[in-house]
Amino acid sequence: MGVVDPVAARLAVPLTLPIGIGPSPAHAAQGVGFAEMLQAGIQAVDHKISNSDVLVRNFTLDGSVPIHQVTAALEDARMAVEVAMQVRARLVETYRDFMAMQI
Amino acid sequence: MDAMAISRTALDVEWQRLQVIAQNLANENTTNAGGDGPYRPLRLVSGPDAGFEQLVDANGVQSRPVGVRVVGLEPLADGARRVHDPAHPHADADGFVTYPNLDRAAEMTLLIRTSRAYEANLTAMTIAQQMYMRALDLGRR
Repeated sequence: MGVVDPVAARLAVPLTLPIGIGPSPAHAAQGVGFAEMLQAGIQAVDHKISNSDVLVRNFTLDGSVPIHQVTAALEDARMAVEVAMQVRARLVETYRDFMAMQI
Repeated sequence: MDAMAISRTALDVEWQRLQVIAQNLANENTTNAGGDGPYRPLRLVSGPDAGFEQLVDANGVQSRPVGVRVVGLEPLADGARRVHDPAHPHADADGFVTYPNLDRAAEMTLLIRTSRAYEANLTAMTIAQQMYMRALDLGRR
């Protein structure tokens, strides 16, 4: 026993941080199509872009928005677009692979 | 809550803390704030952005990372500084004017600490973003 009690000793349950989606939720099991998933993702990206747009406009108009919120939203939108581009690239690549398949 | 969202809440809090310090410094000589005595220096109190049951849960050690939020603004119980100046419009019957007892050194120290905390959170945010973008490079051809 050391001088300082470790934090974990005070916990009834061990401290674990959940990462990832875990077991698939019920609605996913009922069959959401790939197209719907893709569309939802694109809408989320679009929402982030328009959100950053609104923030930039508010910042330039009245300056009530802190600058870090504007840059963070812009960065958020950029990363979302980047992910969408990656998804698109893999999608197109897979499609090409299938089309080039000899039957 | 991901690391970037946590850092963003901290940036918001430090930004507001800076505003409060600026207000304290700006009102150093305010003798009459809204009719009830001199201005009282304020402190921004922040705390973890978790619900009560989450805080009570597991002996106050949080089981998942949360951001930070502004809990409130508390006036400092420092008393007031009285200066003899009978010509001042806000002088009382004895000719004393009451000023806020602002500890300028403490405000400056807090100002620097706020600035450092802001920078630290910006760095954490940048690192989180770099990790995110590096993970995106996985499998890129």
